Amino acid sequence: MPLVVIGLSHRSSPVAVRERFAFEETQVPAALKSLRESGAAAEAVILSTCNRVEIYAVTPLEAPKAFATLQEFLLTCRDYREPLANEIYSLSEPQSVQHLFRVACGLDSMVLGETEILGQLKKAYDVALQHGHTGGRLNKAFQRAFNVAKHIRTETNIQRGSVSVASVAVELAEKIFSDLAARSVLVLGAGDTGEKTARALLSRGAHSIAVSNRSPEKALALAAELGGRAVPFEDWPREFARFDIVVSTTAAPHYILDRVKLEPAMKLRRNRPLLLVDIAVPRNIEPEVNFLENVYLYDIDDLQTMADGYLRQRQEEVARCEKIIREKVEALLNHAGGRESAAEARPAFGHQ
Amino acid sequence: MVYSVFLWRKGFRRDNHVNYLLLLLAFGFHTIAMMLRGFSLRHCPVTNLYEATTFVMWTIVAAYLLVGLWSRLRFLGAFASPGLFAMGVFALMPSLDTPHGARPEVPVAWTSLHAALMSLSYGAFGLSSVAALMYLTQERNLKFHKLQAVFSLMPPIQRLEAVAGRLLLAGFVLLTLGLGSGVIDLTHLNNPQVYRGDLKIVWSAVVWLLYLGLVIMRWKFAQGGRRFALGAIGSFIFVVLTFWGTNVLSPLHNP
Repeated sequence: MPLVVIGLSHRSSPVAVRERFAFEETQVPAALKSLRESGAAAEAVILSTCNRVEIYAVTPLEAPKAFATLQEFLLTCRDYREPLANEIYSLSEPQSVQHLFRVACGLDSMVLGETEILGQLKKAYDVALQHGHTGGRLNKAFQRAFNVAKHIRTETNIQRGSVSVASVAVELAEKIFSDLAARSVLVLGAGDTGEKTARALLSRGAHSIAVSNRSPEKALALAAELGGRAVPFEDWPREFARFDIVVSTTAAPHYILDRVKLEPAMKLRRNRPLLLVDIAVPRNIEPEVNFLENVYLYDIDDLQTMADGYLRQRQEEVARCEKIIREKVEALLNHAGGRESAAEARPAFGHQ
Repeated sequence: MVYSVFLWRKGFRRDNHVNYLLLLLAFGFHTIAMMLRGFSLRHCPVTNLYEATTFVMWTIVAAYLLVGLWSRLRFLGAFASPGLFAMGVFALMPSLDTPHGARPEVPVAWTSLHAALMSLSYGAFGLSSVAALMYLTQERNLKFHKLQAVFSLMPPIQRLEAVAGRLLLAGFVLLTLGLGSGVIDLTHLNNPQVYRGDLKIVWSAVVWLLYLGLVIMRWKFAQGGRRFALGAIGSFIFVVLTFWGTNVLSPLHNP
């Protein structure tokens, strides 16, 4: 019985279609039960994330028949009646195993090499395992996929570095400060990227956050959300010297921080390093401040260039990852082939 | 040194445990060689310029191996190796390895203590300047928004600055103790006041004042960062470039 995959992802379909097929976590066990009872699958795992909905199944049916049955199940289960073109893809061995490995490694993700998908895949597998919908073959394929993902993470640079502006800003902070836990962050403005950057800094252990915005209500709301405090917009220059990282996202049409303001503040800071992240357009911080000693200024273009650099590095690693995956798929299937010739009644790979 | 060049070319994106192991191996051989020499001479092998230079190298590597236990500071090795190689070549120059110390009349234990403390202090200054060089490299990458700033596996600049500062402070304490032991050595000489204006003594005082200035600048006036790093590197370059010359021109150390 081969392992097949049927589903749709960000590569094959727009979000408007994907969202119609998405499973809520609580619906998955019942759907798996119904799928197995239909006879289309002996073992099954349903993976449903914002970027993909896939059914991994070990089926007793011939591949074409299995695909038709599984697609019918998916359409009926999600009550989808509109016509479909090529939104749903279906793969059989060895492509199905290769696809599983690629998904686990983040090679099929929207953000190349991201690691969140591995956690989602593990969770989907756990749900199926807990409810008894997996057997020897899926267990082996998924365990191997997790091992391959771990191997690729350690052996290649596919998951190294940050590919978003917010995480690059955090990484820069970690290259400047020896310990983020002792650093105070000031967010100027209540923009979305500023909020993301502040959240990323907090998640890496930043000590405290203060938010300052022309609209005090917005500042209070964001400060409350981030667990920080609001600073009246007219007061932030007075408190400036206390902060180590400043993230600026205001809509001001001119510089709100320049060299003249910053020089006395640096003296008050006793020349401790200061990271300025200016993600506003037009820019909020005069570029000349970067010439001051111990001041490190990055604007949105600098951060984007770094994020793109990481992405390029990841893309360069894809070929290495694909090679490893091909070898691992081959090893898994050949091992199974060997077993099959030794004992013909045995399944494609592993024990049932 | 060849592997260090490789790490430089790779932008410090490779973990450098190989560099660490190579220096550990070299340190092992160096220790054995120094012990054999020490046993054959029956005193600590720090009595002439050759021995003092190799002892400085040994202390730099020993300090590096200790600091390098923390993986990201292992890159200090890549920065230190070319300097160590140059020092090793210098130590092999003829006429540095004289058969006995400069002043046989001073008890060998005292000259050994003086020379060992001075060598240890130069070792600490050397490693401090290496950390400062690493700081300047990474600081420049960060200032000019180079991708290498985030791609490399180097530690944060604040930590590099702290390491450079602590090593320099340790070197300064050792230098002070070394000069103090040198003053005691002088008391064993028949006519010590003759050497009051000795070039090496004047030079040592200048070096001590130079490092005192850096210590005050760093801890009293909070002038850390780039200026301190440049000061640490410049001071050590001054020491390296003038050490041999002042020794040769000093009647006290080269009668």
